[in-house]
Amino acid sequence: MADQEIDRALKLVANLSIDKASQVLSKMIKAGAKIELEGVSLEDVTKATERVMQSDTGDVVGAFVDLVGDLPFKFLFYVDANDSLTLTDLILRRELGTTKKFDVYVTSTVQELGNILASAVTNVFASDFQIKMKPTPPIVVHDYASTIFGEYIMEAAAEQDEILMIESMFRVVRLNVKCRMFLLPKGDAQKELAAIVGKI
Amino acid sequence: MAKRILLVDDAPIIRLMIKDILVECGGYEIVAEGATGKEALDLYKQLKPDLVTMDIVMPEMDGIQALEEILKFDPKAKVVMVTAIDQRESLMKAIRLGATDYIVKPFEADRVMSAVQKALGE
Amino acid sequence: MAVEVSVGMADIKLGRDGDVLATVLGSCIGVCLFSASHGAGGLLHLMMPTAGNNAAQPGIKKAKYADTGVPELVHSLKVSFGVQPKDLVAKIFGGAKVLQNVERNIGAENAVAVQAILKEYGIPLKAHKTGGERGYRIKFHTESGKVICQVFGGPTEEY
Repeated sequence: MADQEIDRALKLVANLSIDKASQVLSKMIKAGAKIELEGVSLEDVTKATERVMQSDTGDVVGAFVDLVGDLPFKFLFYVDANDSLTLTDLILRRELGTTKKFDVYVTSTVQELGNILASAVTNVFASDFQIKMKPTPPIVVHDYASTIFGEYIMEAAAEQDEILMIESMFRVVRLNVKCRMFLLPKGDAQKELAAIVGKI
Repeated sequence: MAKRILLVDDAPIIRLMIKDILVECGGYEIVAEGATGKEALDLYKQLKPDLVTMDIVMPEMDGIQALEEILKFDPKAKVVMVTAIDQRESLMKAIRLGATDYIVKPFEADRVMSAVQKALGE
Repeated sequence: MAVEVSVGMADIKLGRDGDVLATVLGSCIGVCLFSASHGAGGLLHLMMPTAGNNAAQPGIKKAKYADTGVPELVHSLKVSFGVQPKDLVAKIFGGAKVLQNVERNIGAENAVAVQAILKEYGIPLKAHKTGGERGYRIKFHTESGKVICQVFGGPTEEY
């Protein structure tokens, strides 16, 4: 299969997943959420981590989710630690600024957002491409963005020097909340996905 | 007297969201909260609530198994399942087993209220 | 002119004079080799203990593994600055177990592997801070050999 076809298939799946994720996120936080696909790219692990390090301004809270089933993927969602407090207020319909410290509800918020966003992705795979997958319970980690990103790509980077990444960024409209979402195919998942998408 | 509800979900944030809705919009009493299916069963036997809201994916014992066990103990138990969007199969199974209704995450307050009110016959 | 350089995963960067080599680690290990007499050093950001069968493959990223990365760093310092292994001292950081659901403790394996290789070269380990469950942010000052390290959530320390 040509790389262009794989690229086209992944972009299609990425865009559909992101649309679905935007919808569920907006509904959950009762605010407009705009998610943009930043890119589907095959990137050298050194360059990818260097890039994240250069924009790493501090601590983030991330949810790691394994999507298991027909085509295994790894999913990561992370948000600046300060913004995770805002997301918690939005979800609980509290006045912004109510949640002041990193507590069990903040961890739980990121975990649920990870779960719901990952579910939105698997939902697209199932409904549009008949690919059955389900998310495993998210593991939440509060750490440096670069550490979280490094651990996320570790398994793929151990096997190959270039990793294929689907990266998107989303903003909550009117509030300066920025989050990132990544999808990483495991093993040959991208080729199989392209084959399936190509038939539809 | 306010109807007594048992909330079961492994995510504290979801329990808090549902609790806020049920207490503020419906004036219900939350008798207890559980984070696993096992806790749900123990708390149900102990407290005999009027209704349970039950997550599906949970550690120890999942929501489907807990639903089955609760219905074995009390065939008239009213259980509303709470699920993420992709768990259609599990949801169908829960309905077949005897779940009263379901709520899909992310949910709106109206939907939570209508499912609970309907299940309680209000 | 002195610069601060980010060192990505599976990479080696060298510096001298006022250059600062910076990286952020999880289960990876950052190996800082420094020669006081040359006022120069290098930082290796390795991911795994051994290249195993991959070692013989052409074009492998040597910096990915401890057993190929440390020799590569020693070699680069020799080629670029004329530094011999006997001139070097080492400081190592990282090797945390960030994801508690993953069984294998690759961070600990990395730390053991690096120490064994440094011993083979006879390079003294002047400082090490490894393990734990949190990430490490380090800045290696290649002029003085000083390393500023901050484990996530902890104080900034100098090694």
